[in-house]
Amino acid sequence: MSSLVFAQTPALRFSLRKSLGLFILAGLVVFAFLPLIIGGADPLKQSLRHSLQPPSSAAWFGYDHLGRSMAARLAAALRLSLGLALLSVVTAMVPGILLGVLAAWRGGFIDRAIGAVSESLLALPGLLLVLMLTAIVPDNPAMLYLGISLVLWIEYFRVTRALARPILNSPAVEASRLLGFGPVYILKRHVWPEISAILLRLGAFGAASAIMAIAALGFVSVGVRPPTPELGLMMIELLPYYEEAPHALLQPIAVIFLMVLALQLLAGRQNSGKETA
Amino acid sequence: MSTLMEVRDAAVHTTEAQLVQPFSFSLEAGRPFTILGETGSGKSLLAQAVMGLLPEGLMASGQLGIEGETLDLGRPGSQKRLWGRKVSILPQEPWLALDPIMAAQAQVEEGYRFLRNEESDVARQSANRDLQQLGVAEARRKLPGQLSGGMAQRVAFAAARAGGARIVIADEPTKGLDVARRDEVIELLMREVRAGGCVLVITHDLALARQMGGDLAIMLEGRIVEQGEALEVLANPAHDYTRRLIAADPENWQTLDVEISSAGAPVLEATGIGKTRGGKQLFSGVDLTIRPGEIIGVTGPSGSGKSSLGDILLGLLKPDAGQVQRATGISIHRYQKLYQDPPAAFPARATLKQSLADLVALHQLEEVRIAPLMQRLRLAEHLLDRRPDQVSGGELQRFALLRVLLLDPVFLFADEPTSRLDLITQQETVELLVELARERGCALLLVSHDTALIEKTCDRTISIG
Repeated sequence: MSSLVFAQTPALRFSLRKSLGLFILAGLVVFAFLPLIIGGADPLKQSLRHSLQPPSSAAWFGYDHLGRSMAARLAAALRLSLGLALLSVVTAMVPGILLGVLAAWRGGFIDRAIGAVSESLLALPGLLLVLMLTAIVPDNPAMLYLGISLVLWIEYFRVTRALARPILNSPAVEASRLLGFGPVYILKRHVWPEISAILLRLGAFGAASAIMAIAALGFVSVGVRPPTPELGLMMIELLPYYEEAPHALLQPIAVIFLMVLALQLLAGRQNSGKETA
Repeated sequence: MSTLMEVRDAAVHTTEAQLVQPFSFSLEAGRPFTILGETGSGKSLLAQAVMGLLPEGLMASGQLGIEGETLDLGRPGSQKRLWGRKVSILPQEPWLALDPIMAAQAQVEEGYRFLRNEESDVARQSANRDLQQLGVAEARRKLPGQLSGGMAQRVAFAAARAGGARIVIADEPTKGLDVARRDEVIELLMREVRAGGCVLVITHDLALARQMGGDLAIMLEGRIVEQGEALEVLANPAHDYTRRLIAADPENWQTLDVEISSAGAPVLEATGIGKTRGGKQLFSGVDLTIRPGEIIGVTGPSGSGKSSLGDILLGLLKPDAGQVQRATGISIHRYQKLYQDPPAAFPARATLKQSLADLVALHQLEEVRIAPLMQRLRLAEHLLDRRPDQVSGGELQRFALLRVLLLDPVFLFADEPTSRLDLITQQETVELLVELARERGCALLLVSHDTALIEKTCDRTISIG
């Protein structure tokens, strides 16, 4: 009896992790986008008589030092972070995977050339690269997005290349080629089903690190400029008022924590090596 | 003769089903014991139950008596202190079981140091002596990657018994080996037997069972159907399954004598092809003309380039010298290949139905051709909804045959198509393969390490290496 129970727990724990992550993420998405649908306070509207007011039944999240609604600002900042992270991950993933497969497939010069570009980008610390780009063209979310994507694609490229090479050299692919199937079929039937789970998991981790990077840049006042609500920026703005209004400072921190936690839970390690298709 | 180990009523079950029926046996000093059975018959489970190595979810029952002690097989873990000291396992494919970054001698030395608690220089001498006795003294300072397969096997053997175990359990020790290497392994195991130890061999290889001698038990569907003196059982099999098993040994096949029709323009001509790999000349100056419906066997030891020859003929590999000429006007897709490991030749995550549908769509084939072919190949309809890893090796190899037959091949290269299949399945598969090739006028290049199999089935033979 006992060994059967043993065999079941990993699957159970896995689904619990995943659904918890999904639940938190869904909650954050609803919180971020609900104001767009049902309407809410303007995140930029100041009203100094509310300055640093603690949460109350009328305003659940209170107000910041300029009397702006924290709820509205958190929602707007979340939209920015989630949207930018998602966009960066997708932009990094698509060329990363395609280049990875290309390098694994053709090998030789192409492999070395793409590899060299990725390695030279890797030689720079990721945050520094984003910092440089945002310094060249300040106050432009597009630069932030470009910089993060430039850092992220390398991961997908390298993982895809490493995973695709043995698959492309396998007898199964040789058999498919002999039967007359072309590259699209081989990608669709042989490569993608084997690597998708790992890459999507990597995508969730990538989104988490993108969110952290955006916040970190905001915190050092390089990323998005005020008055645009952004989580890192909100932290640095509210830091001087820590004594009077700790709740205001803790809110963006909690939001980042929840967001990264949700993504990590979603991406989390699977217990058994085998994944069901 | 003394009893080294006694197993009483060893059985394996899950919560729902009995996988291995209770079986008792004893291992005598100086006498090998062989359990023979096909894949999935439960023979490995039995060995794992005895060692306490069953995978999660499976439970064992029964008792194990060793040196006057009795252990309960239902409590895995109680055998742990026997590992290495009393009982050791010779792993399948031993070169994978060695530490790739540790010199051979050091790996053997560990057994003496940590299991027998010898001082480090005494242990080194002991390890040295062992390697010398096995004739691999020059392997001492080498890493496993620098050893040949045979040497690695000896080193692994030395390491397995360095802890002083007198009982060696060998699970499929000859899997995928050619005859020369198989004899080496048998010699290695027999050396242990002669020294007063005991070897428990788990295998599906009839020749191995015959050569080991000693006691033999035949397993079928989790049950021992026959047991006794090995030579006696093999000479006078009592059970129907044993008889079929012996009849399925290529040595006992009927020679397929068919009129060789050398008519028809050749489908493939190779002139003077040669290939070198890793600085070693595999073959050179091979001339070969292949006509429709011909069955050509290729034999040679492993690593001799049998597969490379076929791949060159198919255009998958470039020859270093010579050239391959295909008949003009025949589609390139009519030159096909069957693989050694059937599951590795299909998209792993697509159902068989999906894979076949893809092929039908690509070449605009008539789907109605599939059903009669499936019947011919004795493939059940319901298998189509499964993935490659959910059907047996024999079935999957027949699916692979079905897949290539849909393209009406004129030349088929079968690369050890049955070396991973059980004897009876092997016979079925080869018979079908030959029959269908003859019927359809498809030339067949059959590669096998088994000379008997090639002799009995092929019109002519090429020997390389």
